[in-house]
Amino acid sequence: MKYKSHKIAMNFFTFAVLLFLVQVIIGLVAAVQFIKPDFFFFAFNISRTLHINALVVWLLCGLMGATYYVVPEESGRELWSIPLAQFQFWATVVTVLVVVVGYIIMGLFPQANITVFGTLLLNEGREYIEAPRWADIMIAVSAILFLINNAMTMFKSKKITGIMGTLLGGMLFLTLMYLPGMFYTSSMVKDQYWWWWVVHLWVEGAWEVIAGALLAFMLMKLTNAPRQMLEKWMYIEVALVLFTGMLGIGHHYYWIGTPNYWLWVGGIFSSLEPIPLLVMVWDALRVTKDTRSTTNKLGLFLATAHAIFNFLGAGLWGVIHTLPSVNKWTHGTQITTAHGHLAFYGAYVLLIIAMVYITVPEMRGVKEYRMSRGYRSFWWQTVSMIMIVFIITGAGMVQTYMERLLGLDYVTVKNNFNTWFWIWRAVFGVTYIIGVCMFVYDFFKIGKEPVTATLSESKA
Amino acid sequence: MGNKGVRNLFVFGSFLCFVVLVILTVNTFSQLDSRAPKITEEVDLGKQLWHKYDCIGCHTIFGNGSYFAPDMTKITEKVPKSYLKKFLVNPRKVNPSAAMPVLGITDDEADKLIAFLEWTSKVDTNGWPPKPVLGSKASGGGTGNVAYEKNNCSSCHIIDGVGGTSGPDITHVALRHPDPQWHRKHLDNPASITPDSAMPPYAQLSDDEKNQLIDFLLTLK
Ligand code: HEC
Ligand code: HEC
Ligand code: HEM
Ligand code: HEM
Ligand SMILES: [Fe+2]
Repeated sequence: MKYKSHKIAMNFFTFAVLLFLVQVIIGLVAAVQFIKPDFFFFAFNISRTLHINALVVWLLCGLMGATYYVVPEESGRELWSIPLAQFQFWATVVTVLVVVVGYIIMGLFPQANITVFGTLLLNEGREYIEAPRWADIMIAVSAILFLINNAMTMFKSKKITGIMGTLLGGMLFLTLMYLPGMFYTSSMVKDQYWWWWVVHLWVEGAWEVIAGALLAFMLMKLTNAPRQMLEKWMYIEVALVLFTGMLGIGHHYYWIGTPNYWLWVGGIFSSLEPIPLLVMVWDALRVTKDTRSTTNKLGLFLATAHAIFNFLGAGLWGVIHTLPSVNKWTHGTQITTAHGHLAFYGAYVLLIIAMVYITVPEMRGVKEYRMSRGYRSFWWQTVSMIMIVFIITGAGMVQTYMERLLGLDYVTVKNNFNTWFWIWRAVFGVTYIIGVCMFVYDFFKIGKEPVTATLSESKA
Repeated sequence: MGNKGVRNLFVFGSFLCFVVLVILTVNTFSQLDSRAPKITEEVDLGKQLWHKYDCIGCHTIFGNGSYFAPDMTKITEKVPKSYLKKFLVNPRKVNPSAAMPVLGITDDEADKLIAFLEWTSKVDTNGWPPKPVLGSKASGGGTGNVAYEKNNCSSCHIIDGVGGTSGPDITHVALRHPDPQWHRKHLDNPASITPDSAMPPYAQLSDDEKNQLIDFLLTLK
C-alpha cells in the first residue's frame, strides 16, 4: 500500500461488500413474501426496510471508501488523521448493526417501537430513512467527521484538483441533504415534501455529482486522456445534473397535495435529466476508444458499463414515467420498482464495483490480477437484473392497466394477475445472488491469485 | 471556455437553481394549509401511529411508499369506517386470507389512524388517483345489477374475478347460502349471523331494493 490511509478505504469496501450480500438475500425474502406473505419470521415491511437500508448504507460506505482512496492519491499525502478515520469507520459499523438489531426486534414485536424523548426508538416509519432519530444523529456526526478529515487533507496539500473538489462538494451536499429528513411535521404533505428533498436530491443530485467525479477519476487512471479535458467534461456533466435535477424534484410534487404548477416545473426539468447521463456515456465511450492505455480491462469495462446502465436505469426508465400525463396513471405502481432497481444498479452498484476493481489491485500492490471471475460475476448480475427489471415492468404495466385504467381492485390484480411475475422475479433473484456471491468471493481474492487468465478466458 | 469558467458555471449555476427551489418551496408552503383540512390533535396522533407501525413499509400514501399493499390516500372513501376499525385491529379475523399481519393496534389507536386517513382523503391531490377511464363496468361490479352496483357491494366483494377483497368472494355464494331468509337477516344485521361481522348493515334499504339484491345473490351459483 502506497498510503497507510488506504487501509481505511479497504475497511469501508469490505463492510460495503458484505452488506451487499445481506441486501440481496433479504431482497429475495421480500420477493418470496409477495407469493407467500407469512413464510418468514418477520413481515414484509421489515424485510423491505432491511433491503433498502442495507442498499443505501453499503453504497454510502462504498462512496466513502472510494473517497478515502481518491483524496490521498489526488492530494499526494496521507489523511489528515488516520485514527479519526478509523474511529469514524467503527462508529459507522456499530451504529448500523444496532439499527439492524432494532428492525429485527420490531419485526418480532411491532409494539416495541416505542416513543422515547418524542421520537421513535427503533424505526421512524419513513421509507429509506427508517433509521431512528438517534441513529440519524450518529450518521450525521460520522459524515461530518468524514468531511472534516478529507477537507483538511485537501487543504493541507494545497493541491485542490477539480476531481477532488467536486467529489468533496458532492459529499458536502449529500450530508446537508440528510438534514431535511430529521424533523417531524404533523402534516403528511409537508412530511413527504421534505422527505423527497432527502431521497431525490440524493440520488438525482449529490450522488450523481459524486458519480460524475468518480467517473472522471476512473477514466483518468485507466486512460492517458489529459486531466484538463476530463475535468472540463466532468464540470459540464455535473452542472447539467444539478441544473435539471434540482428542479426536477417537481416530478414528486404532482400528487402529494402541493400546488399544480409543479406539474409544469417537474415535467419540464425532469424530462431533461437524462441529458447529462447521456453525456457521461458519450464521454466514457469516446475516452476509452481514443486513449485506452491500461491493462485493467475489467476496470475499464465496468466503468463504461456503469455509465451505460446509469443512463438506461435512471435516464430511460426514469423518463418514461416522468411526465405528469403518464405519471398520473403509473404513480406508485410496480413501474416505479422496476425503475428503482435498474437506476440504483446502473448508477451506484456498478459504480462501486468498478471502483473496487480499479483501486483494490493497486491497494494490494499488484499490477495485474485475474479477471475471469469478475467478468462472470458481472454477467450473472447484469443479466439477472435486466430480467428482474423486465419482469417487474411487465407487472407494472398489467397493474396500471387493470387497476388504474379498468378499476380492478389492487389485491385482485396483485394476487390473481401478477403471480407469475412474482415467481419469475424470485427465480432471477436467485441467479442475481449467485452473481453477488462470485463478486464477494472475488473481492477477497483480487490480486492474490496467479494471473492465469488469458484474453479469451477473460471474455468468458 | 476554460476549466475555471466551466467550474464557475457549475458552482454558481447550481447555487442559483437551489435558490429557485427554495423560493418555490416558500411559495408552496404558503399554499399548503388551504389545500388540506385543519390538522386536529387526533389527526396528528394518528400520523404518529402511522409511523410507529411502519405502515409505509407495505402501503403507499399519496402514491409514495411500498407497493406490497393498496394505496391509503382515499381509503376512507372506499370502505366504511366501522369496517376499517375492525380490520385494523385484527385483519385476519375480518378476512382470514389477509396478508396484513395483526400488529396489535388497539381500538383507540384505530380511531386515531382512521382520523388521520380521513384527513389525507380530503387533501387536494390535483385529481390523483384518477378515475379508471375504461372501467365503468368493472368498477361497478360488472354484474349489471342496479342495487348491487348502487350500494357499492363490489368495493368489498368479488364476483367472477371483479371487485374488492375486503369481504369474501361471493361468486358462488348461493351454494353456501341458498336460503333467502338468511340473506335478509344478514343484510339487515350481518353481526347477527357472523359474530362481530365487519360488513356494514343495510337495514336502511327499501324492501324493494333488498329483494332485488337477494334475488340477485341467489343466482350466484
Ligand atoms: C406487512 C405489511 C403491512 C403492514 C405493515 C400494514 N399493512 Fe395494511 N395491508 C397490507 C395488505 C397486504 C393489505 C391488503 C389486504 C390483505 O391482503 O391483507 C392491507 C390492507 C389494508 C387496509 C385496507 C383494507 C381493505 O379491505 O380495503 C387498510 C385500511 C390498511 N391495510 C391499513 C394499514 C395501516 C393503517 C397500517 C399501519 C398501522 C398497515 N395497514 C400496515 C399489508 C400491510
Ligand atoms: C366494507 C366491506 C363490505 C361491503 C361494502 C359489503 N360487504 Fe358483504 N361482507 C363483508 C364481510 C367482511 C363479510 C364476511 C363477514 C360476514 O359474513 O358478515 C361479508 C359477507 C357477505 C356475504 C356472505 C358471504 C359468505 O360467503 O358467507 C354476502 C352474501 C354479502 N356479504 C353480501 C353483500 C352485499 C349484497 C353487499 C352490498 C349491499 C355487501 N355485502 C357489502 C364486507 C362487506
Ligand atoms: C441514479 C439516479 C436515480 C435513482 C437511483 C432513482 C431511484 C428512484 C427510486 C428508488 C424511486 C422510488 C422512490 C419511492 O420509493 O417512492 C424513484 C422514483 C421516480 N424516479 Fe427515479 N431515480 C433516479 C433517476 C431518475 C431520473 C433521471 C428520472 C427522470 C428522468 C427519474 C424519475 C422518477 C420518477 C418520475 C419517479 C416517481 C415514480 C412514481 O411516481 O411512483 N428518476 N426513483
Ligand atoms: C443490486 C441489486 C438491487 C438493488 C439495487 C435493489 C434496489 C431496490 C430498491 C431501490 C427498492 C425500492 C423500490 C422502490 O421503492 O421503488 C427495492 C425493493 C425491492 N427489491 Fe430490490 N434491489 C436489488 C436486488 C434485489 C433482488 C435480487 C431481489 C430479489 C428478487 C429484490 C427484491 C426486491 C423487492 C421484492 C422489493 C420490494 C418492492 C416493492 O415494494 O414492490 N431486489 N429494491
Ligand atoms: Fe426523482
